[in-house]
Amino acid sequence: MTGAEFSGVDIDLLADYIGGALEGTPDESAVATLIAEDQAWREAFETLGGRVTFVRAELGRFSPEPMPADLAARLDGMFSAPALTLVQGEAVAADPRRRRKRWVTPLAIAAGFIAFIGFGVDYLSGRTQQADDSAASGVSTQSESAISALGETILATGTDYTRATLAIEPVRTLSDPPSAGIPAFGESGTQNQDRATVKEPTLDRLAVRAALAECFLAIERQNAGGSISVTTVDYARFNGAPAVIVRFTAANGGWAWAVGPGCGTPVSGADALDKVPVR
Amino acid sequence: MNTGDGPIGAPGTDDSGPSDADLLRAHVDGDREAFGELVRRHRDRLWAVALRTVGDREEAADAVQDALLSAHRNAARFRGDAAVTTWLHRIVVNACLDRLRRRQAHPTVPLPDGSRSEDRPSGAEPAAPTTDHETALLVRQALADLPADQRAAIVLVDVQGYPVAEAAEILEVAVGTIKSRCARGRARMALALGELRGRDSGHAARGNLRAGETVPSGPGAAPPSPGGHERRDQR
Repeated sequence: MTGAEFSGVDIDLLADYIGGALEGTPDESAVATLIAEDQAWREAFETLGGRVTFVRAELGRFSPEPMPADLAARLDGMFSAPALTLVQGEAVAADPRRRRKRWVTPLAIAAGFIAFIGFGVDYLSGRTQQADDSAASGVSTQSESAISALGETILATGTDYTRATLAIEPVRTLSDPPSAGIPAFGESGTQNQDRATVKEPTLDRLAVRAALAECFLAIERQNAGGSISVTTVDYARFNGAPAVIVRFTAANGGWAWAVGPGCGTPVSGADALDKVPVR
Repeated sequence: MNTGDGPIGAPGTDDSGPSDADLLRAHVDGDREAFGELVRRHRDRLWAVALRTVGDREEAADAVQDALLSAHRNAARFRGDAAVTTWLHRIVVNACLDRLRRRQAHPTVPLPDGSRSEDRPSGAEPAAPTTDHETALLVRQALADLPADQRAAIVLVDVQGYPVAEAAEILEVAVGTIKSRCARGRARMALALGELRGRDSGHAARGNLRAGETVPSGPGAAPPSPGGHERRDQR
């Protein structure tokens, strides 16, 4: 069998016949006739049939492919994060200082994977200690921030926003130091210069500069107000779910969007959870 | 050898636990652990499909993660028309195909490298004396070089062992379309394998495969009705 001999045969049609894709169609009998009466088709049928059998056998020999442990652990962290318990909260107030809620970690952490929601072990430990110290005392409003290389302020307040509070910008005082835990993208001296440190596993992808840029583009497309100028990014929560709060201005005004972990992916687009105008 | 990450057959049920549908419902109702359990049940199969469809470990990981995030968020939209696993596979495969389409400007698919030793047969298999390491690599390359739609169908049916009907549900096409994609993909692979073997080893390929053969386009034979008999495709 040579290539020249194959050239007289419609290989796709013959492959369909061999694969059973022509059953019940007029082409099935037509190809059967060609195979019976045309030597080139008959030889092609015999040869290709053998090769296809060989290919299928080889494909069936692929060895099992378990998910890599690191990816499995990442998914465990994303979808099995221990729930946080609200032990004391205040009514949502206009002042973000007063609407910060105090959280305690659950008694048990899922074995094998630490997946604290919020700012990670250090932050939560501190918050828990605060809650334990005095329920009546004021709650610190310290927020962790840094200015990114592109100018937007990167925050990880962990605030659980609602539609009513989405437009309210978190308060940052001059005394708030740039966070060691939330380095700016591109900040010198960090090992991962294209990555912010966000210990909320579900938002981990968006801690990468490139992914966040994709997210901005997705927001820009969905906003349909021309190019956007992002002012702040807050790794936080929205209605209890992990979210990134993106505040920006565009030709259609100022906006605060809450976007989910899928922001910037082809599947989810901007993954917008909610959006409110900011005046 | 298709153990470990093949099809599961019936919708995920476990004698000792809730069904997949129960878990998804619990997740929608606010159970924070339910979706994680669902993922743990099926992650190896989803990973295998993604890896073999995309052909790159990093991209496959991203595709699986993005897809599961989407499923997590959109679980309430699941209407129960298909098995939960079919739905999960559909989301993962679509995420993979999206990535492949975006990569069309770079048609070269990474070949298996040293980090993929686990992809390869661990040694001679008594039941398949003709299989060798070189052949396994060439088969993977031939698979990677297929058009994305054909590759996805072959990964589901021939590699992962899903019934044609289930693969059709996952890819949301007719059964006949899956048969045709598989059939044409296998033929392409058979011809490409001859080319690759001839190029790489300089000797005639097994089964008299030849280099330089191309697959001419067919006349677009209409696929049979979805209820058609799956003579050769059904595993």
